[in-house]
Amino acid sequence: MISKKIEENKKLILNSFQNSSDLIHYEFEAGDYTKILIFYIEGFIDRNLLDRDIVKPLIHNKENKDIKKIISISSLSEVGEIDEVINEITDGNVAIFFDGKTTAYLANLKNWEKRSIQEAQAEAVVRGPKEGFVEDISSNRNLLRKKIKSNNLVFEDYTLGKQTNTKVSIAYINGIVNEDVLNEVRKRINNIGTDAILESGYIEQYIEDNKVSILSTIGNTQKPDVVAGKILEGRVAIFCDGSPHVLTVPKLFLENIQTSEDYYIRPHFASFLRFIRMLSLVLTIILPGFYVALQLFHQEMIPTVLLVSMAESREGVPFPTAIEAFLMIIMLELIKESGVRLPKAVGSAVSIVGALVLGQAAVQARIVSAPMVIVVAVTAIAEFTVPPLTELLILYRLIILFLGAFAGLYGVTCGLVVLIVHGLSLKSFGVSYGYPISPRDKEGLKDFIIRFPLCSFIFRPKAIEKTNMVRNIKPREK
Amino acid sequence: MKKYFVLLILIIFSAQILSGCWGSQELNTLGIVTVTGFDIENDEVVATFEVIKLNPSSGSSNSDDSTKAKYVQTRGKTIFEAVRNENLKFDRRIYLSHNQIYIFGEEFAKKGLTNYMDFLQRDHECRETAYLLVSKGGKAYEVMGFSPGAEDLQGIYIGDMMKNSKFTSKLVAINISEYFRNYYDAGIQPVIGTVEKKEKKYEKDMELKNKDKYELSVEGGAVFNREKLVGYLNGEETRGYNFVRDKVYNAIIEFPSISTGTDSISIPTPKVGGTINTNKDSQIKEYTVVEIAKSKTKNDVEIQDGKLVLKTNVNVKGTVGEELGNIEISQEKGVYLIEEACSNEIKRQIEKVFSKAQKEYKTDIFGYGILFHRKYPKEWEKIKDDWNDVFSDAEFKVNVKTEILRTGLVNTPSNRIRGE
Repeated sequence: MISKKIEENKKLILNSFQNSSDLIHYEFEAGDYTKILIFYIEGFIDRNLLDRDIVKPLIHNKENKDIKKIISISSLSEVGEIDEVINEITDGNVAIFFDGKTTAYLANLKNWEKRSIQEAQAEAVVRGPKEGFVEDISSNRNLLRKKIKSNNLVFEDYTLGKQTNTKVSIAYINGIVNEDVLNEVRKRINNIGTDAILESGYIEQYIEDNKVSILSTIGNTQKPDVVAGKILEGRVAIFCDGSPHVLTVPKLFLENIQTSEDYYIRPHFASFLRFIRMLSLVLTIILPGFYVALQLFHQEMIPTVLLVSMAESREGVPFPTAIEAFLMIIMLELIKESGVRLPKAVGSAVSIVGALVLGQAAVQARIVSAPMVIVVAVTAIAEFTVPPLTELLILYRLIILFLGAFAGLYGVTCGLVVLIVHGLSLKSFGVSYGYPISPRDKEGLKDFIIRFPLCSFIFRPKAIEKTNMVRNIKPREK
Repeated sequence: MKKYFVLLILIIFSAQILSGCWGSQELNTLGIVTVTGFDIENDEVVATFEVIKLNPSSGSSNSDDSTKAKYVQTRGKTIFEAVRNENLKFDRRIYLSHNQIYIFGEEFAKKGLTNYMDFLQRDHECRETAYLLVSKGGKAYEVMGFSPGAEDLQGIYIGDMMKNSKFTSKLVAINISEYFRNYYDAGIQPVIGTVEKKEKKYEKDMELKNKDKYELSVEGGAVFNREKLVGYLNGEETRGYNFVRDKVYNAIIEFPSISTGTDSISIPTPKVGGTINTNKDSQIKEYTVVEIAKSKTKNDVEIQDGKLVLKTNVNVKGTVGEELGNIEISQEKGVYLIEEACSNEIKRQIEKVFSKAQKEYKTDIFGYGILFHRKYPKEWEKIKDDWNDVFSDAEFKVNVKTEILRTGLVNTPSNRIRGE
């Protein structure tokens, strides 16, 4: 409750903030000698606007009693609860108390520091929009609204985290969205009871279907055009304040090998690229394990000439093949990790050292064999073609390597079977992860490894979309 | 529940098709064998292995004097024992999966090939696709130990020659599984390849550079009656054999040109800037060569008036590869003449090898017995034990039809035209 006495309000708010030094309060008298108290957080607001549009009119006002006629700010609102006032102050609003009034006024003069919109580094494209999301949620929502200029685009706001009070909003297109998924998202977001949401990754881990699975069933992207494309297929997007990564649910396995560019370039090359991605997905998981299995168990499967050159490169290498492969993979991950963490200036030095040490010196010193370097290099290159799956690929590659080293191709096959069966059994917000392979859908297969021409995409994915199926009317049916 | 069931099925299924052997072996513990030779000396099996010597690749190009192979010779009462005894002499375990060639000494083959061959069939490491060869007139280890070809390894060298058999059809490329298929069937007797060491008779100056004084020849075939070697076929006879067995692919047939003289068919087409050379030196033998593009053989057996008749129909399609005689190929009649001459030549070769098999070796190497078995199963039961005798008395009818598809890029034989 807001007290009539301005002193009590002041004490209450200062106490609730424990006299935090970035909370600024300013007391003055209006033209009619009413005491006025202003609260705001330093650096959150535009001080010029505050002085010009709030303080100055109030001081000069003598006769007008209606506050809204004095303060010419469109976002001015009146609240009666002290708790809400406190919350709004932390969100960058200016709170104005008048002596003798049981309501306070809130003016939105937010003007905090934020990153300008830049290219999304992790999802670079050759053709297509370059802009990426930033940390500020309202900018992100604007970016999406710019793609879908429709009153059907709906944002629903939630505040999560008892301490952080992070603003989270879910976006969907009314009339296209799968209602079951939407209700499930609402339910799961409301169930989050944590006190801190610092990044959308927190939300992802709280609302996941299968929290122990190695496969992620929630997609994330930094590009507004990708989010637009996804929610136009009936998905729900989750924006989180402070994160440039926007989540999209439900996620299908298929989305890992899709990029936004696939739809911007013509279908032939897009299909080829998807084939390459699928191939490198398989390669990067099984290649080290497969190679070790062949070398240790199935020498008869290797052509004689290749076997000779492989055996020659193994001559003089002190470690068993499995250890050698493991060493190389760990070295690769070391270089990658240090390259990410180090400042850019030092990063290039690390990569040069890594390339020389791994590529040349290790082979010349007979610590590892040359084909092993090639195998690991191929896996490393292949891994970058499917960025959404990187976490899975690195871990599962080691598992397959282990199985291949102990049980040969039998182990490799078992490892793959377990992964595939597990993947097909997953559900993401009630939608089968393996769609369109399992459940099989002929329409959905048009957008699988071979991307059909856009005009042949008559229907939205059957697994996600339930109500508004048709997205593309054939010209002759117009 | 259902998904675990599917998982179980898949694992069991993959275990069936991909059962690798439990127990791994590092590559640098294996002695990879490319050729194995078997001989018999004093009732002992003498096994000779060509083991690849692995030169650690140093990144730079290999020096020329590095040898690619090492040779190990071991003895034992059986092949398996000889293979195992290798470990007493050599530091790496013999690994036979990449062995492409088995060479048997002549003595071994005469005593009976299959007496000792069980191991080669039974052991999982031995490839059934390895080629079998008999060392003609000598021991197996006598032809081993050098590789006069482009490949440093003798195994790959001989294996490549076996794979190139389609270009001449003058050799027999037969692997273990085919050999046993023929061996087990009373209606056919196996013929396997031969390998022979010959002294080089050319390149007097080259000899200094080339250390090999000898060369290998895989021409011809070795005829077996059951497990025992009974004789050899030369290159031309082997080709006749391959015709009957329908194993000719890209061979060439060379035969003397039809002497035409002033025949009406040799009307030369006048060419710009050239005259027709009619005074040809008669000393030079004139040949026509037909390259076979496709050959199809159909064999049949028939009992006519109580007598067994063996029939072979060969259909050859080919192109004119060389014409040294005096035939104008642009004329349709000339082509017919070549077709007829080619048919006659193939017929002659087939009849030659047939009479050799019938009269000299008394062995059905062509597999007419299989056809007889199929066509007359009741009669087969009576005669199957002495089928080879029945075969030797049988009448033989061979019919060859040649079709020339293309005649090459020129019409007039090149030696018919002289510049002005």
